[in-house]
Amino acid sequence: MSKHVTEADLAVYAAGDVSWWAQPLTRLHVSRCAVCKGRAEAYRADQQRIRELATDLPAGLDWDRLAAEIHANIRVGLEAGECVAPRTGRRGIPAGWRVAAAMAGFTALLISAWWLNMPAAQTASLGRAMKAMTHWQISRGLRFEDSGPLVEATAAGIELRENGSALAVTHGVNSRPVAVSLSVQGSARARYIDSDTGQVTITSVYAQ
Amino acid sequence: MRSRLIAAFFSSVLMAYAQGFGQQSFGQQSLDHRIDLPHDAPVSLVGDEWGGSAANVRGGAFVLDVRVALSLRNSSQRRIHGITLAVLAQETAPGGKGSISVPSLDVAPGESFSVRGDLHLLRPISAGSTPMVEVELDGVLFDDLTFYGPDKLHSRRTMMVWELEARRDRRYFKTLLEQAGREGLQKELVGSLSRDADRPQFNVQTVRGRATNTDPEHEVQFAFLRFPEAPVEPMDGMARIAGNEARTPKLVVHNRSDRIVRYLEMGWIVRDQQGREFLAASVPAEMRLPPRSSSQILQDAALRFDPRTSVEGMTGFISSVEFMDGSFWIPSREELDDPTLRRVVAPSPEEQRLVQIYRKKGLNAVIEELKKF
Repeated sequence: MSKHVTEADLAVYAAGDVSWWAQPLTRLHVSRCAVCKGRAEAYRADQQRIRELATDLPAGLDWDRLAAEIHANIRVGLEAGECVAPRTGRRGIPAGWRVAAAMAGFTALLISAWWLNMPAAQTASLGRAMKAMTHWQISRGLRFEDSGPLVEATAAGIELRENGSALAVTHGVNSRPVAVSLSVQGSARARYIDSDTGQVTITSVYAQ
Repeated sequence: MRSRLIAAFFSSVLMAYAQGFGQQSFGQQSLDHRIDLPHDAPVSLVGDEWGGSAANVRGGAFVLDVRVALSLRNSSQRRIHGITLAVLAQETAPGGKGSISVPSLDVAPGESFSVRGDLHLLRPISAGSTPMVEVELDGVLFDDLTFYGPDKLHSRRTMMVWELEARRDRRYFKTLLEQAGREGLQKELVGSLSRDADRPQFNVQTVRGRATNTDPEHEVQFAFLRFPEAPVEPMDGMARIAGNEARTPKLVVHNRSDRIVRYLEMGWIVRDQQGREFLAASVPAEMRLPPRSSSQILQDAALRFDPRTSVEGMTGFISSVEFMDGSFWIPSREELDDPTLRRVVAPSPEEQRLVQIYRKKGLNAVIEELKKF
């Protein structure tokens, strides 16, 4: 044995708290080393004596008074802590409001980006879809969104849409159509009349 | 750490915002176009104007604003009575195809005429950018009812119907002028003007082959307006109704003529819960219907009306028939003189043209116009 176990490790070993992987080596060393064996036994003897002393409580101990003193000391300690170390950060806006403000700013940013970038026809389509959705949720329940081209004829003209986006639209040259028609095969026509010459122009869009 | 994350988040949002703004400013480009007229076409290009046309990048596609005015010359030896041009951004994709037709023309050989149109089409970016839009000749109809063109959009059929309607209506107005004089003609033109203003126009959507409504379905039978002179008679018909949707119309028709029918079109009138009637759509059908035989027409499509509209009744009528020999039948003025049809069906393009001439230039101009034919 060229090297003894340290005092700290021997104390832990004597108390039975040494880790499971260090225990075999320590035990082997202590069994062969007289010095370390003696120290370990001394630690065990001290441990036993401390346990015996701890079981002897003072005579006439008032447990209720002791508990009240402990509570009072804790309160005094907390108050003293507040006095000597006041909070450095000033009281700010609650975290929930900060998140709400950030979301509001982000939403405003998205709306303005939409307004700058989206074509009017697509914005109108989205508006119609939202309006229809609201109406249906109120009056009739859920409605499924279309997954393919849809042809629409209105007094304003004809439109081919898919998933709420306008794919094809026809406009008159500075005028509204005098007639619109729809075919169940997926096409629509809008008829325009030149107010000066009377020339009729018919524009069509096709889903297929 | 947290403050750095927030800063990075807002920086990326601002960059995306700036990118979008840049796209708005710089994503618009001029519309690269091509006008394709075959070398033997009966019309030649005199000039073209594309002012206001543009291509804008939106997501994965170009949104094309096609504002075109073409000046064409009749380079044939016959008078042109109608023309259809196909406007193609992408022939196979939805939203990539449109057309411009001009019926009721009367262009002599060597004369020029204009065709104007305003369409909004879509072209996938993957399709490339040169040329973004092509204008092709789909068909030309002459005064002798002969036709020139590839007819990819079935423009011969539609232009033939418009031309036959134009001839029928001019004949009607001429007869009226002869029999009832200027006052009779004027009264009819004013009546047409008034009906035009009062014609109900409802928002209608059509979608192929899908049900989008969860309301319970029930079947509603068609009522029919029967024309005594029609070669095809509607016998029976029904459609499934669910709330504001009418879907899968099924019709039975009988060919009572001596000729084979290869195409017909039916008008579909809908009556709502308030008793209002409007022309919802047309139901076309390609077929081979031998003389004295019947056939069923089934369309896998749905019509959708305003959410507050409930379909209470339906009426059908035969609006045109094409025979195997290429000739057509259309209803006469007498057959169309039905209160419902007069109220809901738009007049022919020619009648609207004559009414517009009356509005703009007066009765004498209409009489002069009628004398041309």
